[in-house]
Amino acid sequence: MQPMAEWMVNILNWLLIAGGQLWFWTWENLKAICGVLWGVVDAVLNPVLSPVLSILNPVCVVVGDVIYAAIDLLPIWVGLILLSAGTGVVMLVFFRYTSNQTAIARAKDDIKANLLALKLFRDDLRVVFSAQGKVLLAVLRLQRHVLLPVLLATPFMLLVMAQMGIRHQWRPLHPNERTLIKMTMRPSSGKSTQAVLRAHPGVRVEVGPVPGGNQFVWRVRAGQLGRHVLQFDVGSTVVEKEFVVAKGLERVSALRPGADWTSQLIHPVERPLPTASPVESIEILYPSLESRVYGTDYWLLTFFVVSMIVALILSPVFKVKF
Amino acid sequence: MNNFCLSGGVRPASLAPRGLCLLLSMAILAGSCREQDATFPKVIVLGFDGMDPKLCERLMDAGQLPHLSKMRNNGGYRRLATTIPPQSPVAWASFITGADPGIHGVFDFIHRDASRQCVPYYSVAETIESDQGWEIGDYKIPLTFWPFNHQAVETKLRRGGTPFWDYLDEAGVPVRIYDIPANYPPSPSHAGHMCCLSGMGVPDLLGTLGGMYQFFSDAIVVARDEPGGGGMRHPLVFKNHTAKGAITGPRNVYDRKGKSARVPFVIHRHPSDPTARIEIQDQTIVLQEGEWSDWQEIDFELEMPSLLPNAHVVGMCRFYLQKVHPTFRLYVTPINIDPSDPGDQKISEPPEFVTRIADELGRFYTTGFQEDHKALSNKVFSDEEFRQQADYVLEERLALLEYALAHYNDGLLFFYFSSTDLQAHMFWWESDEKHPVRSPTEAAKYNDVIVELYKRMDQVVGDVVQRYGETATILVMSDHGFVNFKRQFNLNTWLRKNGYLRPSDCGSLLDPTKGAPVDWSRSRAYGMGLNGLYVNLKGRELYGSVDPEDRNALLSKITEQLLAERDPQNGKQIIAKVYRTDEVYTNPDAATVPDLIIGYESGYRASWATTLGDLSNEVVADNDATWSADHCIAADQVPGVLYSNHPITTNDPSLLDLAPTILTLFQVEVPQTMTGVTVFDRKDAVVATVGFPGKRPIKE
Ligand SMILES: [Zn+2]
Repeated sequence: MQPMAEWMVNILNWLLIAGGQLWFWTWENLKAICGVLWGVVDAVLNPVLSPVLSILNPVCVVVGDVIYAAIDLLPIWVGLILLSAGTGVVMLVFFRYTSNQTAIARAKDDIKANLLALKLFRDDLRVVFSAQGKVLLAVLRLQRHVLLPVLLATPFMLLVMAQMGIRHQWRPLHPNERTLIKMTMRPSSGKSTQAVLRAHPGVRVEVGPVPGGNQFVWRVRAGQLGRHVLQFDVGSTVVEKEFVVAKGLERVSALRPGADWTSQLIHPVERPLPTASPVESIEILYPSLESRVYGTDYWLLTFFVVSMIVALILSPVFKVKF
Repeated sequence: MNNFCLSGGVRPASLAPRGLCLLLSMAILAGSCREQDATFPKVIVLGFDGMDPKLCERLMDAGQLPHLSKMRNNGGYRRLATTIPPQSPVAWASFITGADPGIHGVFDFIHRDASRQCVPYYSVAETIESDQGWEIGDYKIPLTFWPFNHQAVETKLRRGGTPFWDYLDEAGVPVRIYDIPANYPPSPSHAGHMCCLSGMGVPDLLGTLGGMYQFFSDAIVVARDEPGGGGMRHPLVFKNHTAKGAITGPRNVYDRKGKSARVPFVIHRHPSDPTARIEIQDQTIVLQEGEWSDWQEIDFELEMPSLLPNAHVVGMCRFYLQKVHPTFRLYVTPINIDPSDPGDQKISEPPEFVTRIADELGRFYTTGFQEDHKALSNKVFSDEEFRQQADYVLEERLALLEYALAHYNDGLLFFYFSSTDLQAHMFWWESDEKHPVRSPTEAAKYNDVIVELYKRMDQVVGDVVQRYGETATILVMSDHGFVNFKRQFNLNTWLRKNGYLRPSDCGSLLDPTKGAPVDWSRSRAYGMGLNGLYVNLKGRELYGSVDPEDRNALLSKITEQLLAERDPQNGKQIIAKVYRTDEVYTNPDAATVPDLIIGYESGYRASWATTLGDLSNEVVADNDATWSADHCIAADQVPGVLYSNHPITTNDPSLLDLAPTILTLFQVEVPQTMTGVTVFDRKDAVVATVGFPGKRPIKE
């Protein structure tokens, strides 16, 4: 290589490395700041949301059970599509009544008018600049009008998704299938606390518990079919955890959470463990549900795509603008 | 349409219609090896590496191999002549090509680079590192796309010659090959009718032929890399019954400093029970002492310059909790290429062949040497642990065979078993003499493992015969037999003693720390690999000293002296045959072929040190390794076996006859390069292909 070219390449490489490092530095700091902010928000919200969810969750589970019982005869993927479509319609109606439809229409008209002005007076710099500014403002206004109903709808959506999650994200264990049970202890529980899983026909302990790192882990095989309640003797208290062995699809509770609203939101089935309990959470590693439509992770994609499409298609019917 | 293809195969003159229908079938099959409608003859070949005729015959006579005996009683058994030398890569390459080593170019496990004065390399495949790339900071990244088109790191198959299945593939015959040795990376299927899973020779993720890991808490053992790529041993320090370790992964090919990727893990062991828990990459593995985990995915992250996303190499391993208290020992298998997600590593042709298998079977061993014999040799495994691990390997292979049979309609099915070779190397001891490391009772006990293995393989054969005996030609074959390995002969030390290697206190061909360096200007010959002897020839070797006109006399002299050599311990002959490669091979590549192949007497073999060029004090010494049986000796002392459900009509079949036999069974013309002949009577060959649409005798 020519010395000049080599010199240029070195400069370029240096710039790229420096740029990359700057980017990473920014990204890491941003993450750290967001983490701190979230910690504050979480600390403020938890005392409110955790008790609220403790009341809401049992109701939601019952409603979910009723709805899923109603679609029980359909193939599961049809059921999921129907539920997603139904959620799309509910969102549409909700949007219709929570959003300021006239304001949205006005903002959209403003955008259109100013875009037209841009096209017509493209030689007049003053018009161009002011029209560009107006488009931007109108877009922001539109965003504001759309954002509010979306924010209002989010809790509802999260509750719906949690109900779907417990039926699609995992599947029950088949008889004789192997899995792990992980019990996470509170830091305050003390090192000497022991945990014992009481004998139960629904489960057969193969190995464990193996303690260490704030956890007790059992390797078990599923026993008899059924929706069992396993009992653990932890120190002087008894802690319970649901354990489902089934051949077909049923809702499962992968985690019995502590009084932590984010865990409670994702794992709504079981009562959260009281703060006084030495146990923070109990997890069962249920298998993934294998399906590219309604199975683990894919159900969420199906849900979003179907509900969006339905909302878009039906928006003229409900005379909704967004 | 495919019938038409085949009739074209019988008359090779009519190339045009065959070419046309090849094109058509390619268009229809889109280059993948799917099942086809037409009926082809069925030929099933079961390859048992190292299955020995002496043991087979003894067990058959004792009525212990009923299914193989039945074949023998019907005239379907012969001893099968093997290659010179009878090493697995050499022999399988000859099976594959129907040609001698002169044609396929594999003369030994280990070849040497004459231009670098005998630096050794693995003979079957080579990895070519890229010297191109975008240099940025500590990194060098090959940009393989336009307009840079840098060369990426590439692994090439060194075995030459044309595999016999290429002719079947071309004739439209479906070919399924499972675990074949000496074919990594897999040779391509030009017509799309061939599927092949590579066997012996497939590396692990670190590029070795199987490097395990052992983590242990014994205070006095030091961490070290096991010799010969046998893996790594790392100490663990437990604090409150928790310890931290890391699995060392592949070298970061983009990092110019060559740092290796590492995956950390945490071990919690129970304070008193024999149980432990491994936390690695969001996976928790709970094991009891003596238990093996399932295959676990391990994702190695290769660091890239800060502005690029890191690269990932994914492999898999199994954990074996050997001991928990008082000292802790954890064995981790070599990081195998994951058959369900091989990434850039091509271990099958077409690449999706292996993922299709894994979709149905789950994960299985993919490295070339699955039985971890090095772990036993290095005392990481006890005899019993090795037996258990080898048994796991066999169970996986049997599941794979079940898959192979379930997905087999017609055409050729080849299936390979390594168990009969690698278990025999470690357990075979057909002798009352003292075993190198075991007591007489232990030696007898573990030799019985081999007997039981043969009985089990007989069952496997019986099962295949029961399912396909009426409709398929079944061939059961091995590449060589087995003998005890009692005494080891250091060829280089012998050459030094007789004045061919100088100075008289030299210690190694390559390593100057092991004694005086070799004076090549005065050295006339050296040994490299298990059977090769090379003349230090002017014009060929970097520091050649022997004039080409003196070569013949030198070879005759060395041969005479080698044959006259006697074991000082018992007066026995050590070397049975010395082969001149210019006499026994067809046009071998002059740059790589050894000048002589040493054919040891049974009981003797090249010493461990001499194979990679090290010398020892004694010329002959006891073999002191657990690896107590071998076959790298005179070819006529370790023939393989050949069984068939049809009478074998030639008297002295050899490995080179199998490719022509298979081609003939499909009525595909045998090419000139194959010197062997079919082992079946021609009439029987047609009987064997009953149901074949052609149903016509092969042209005389
Ligand atoms: Zn072998």
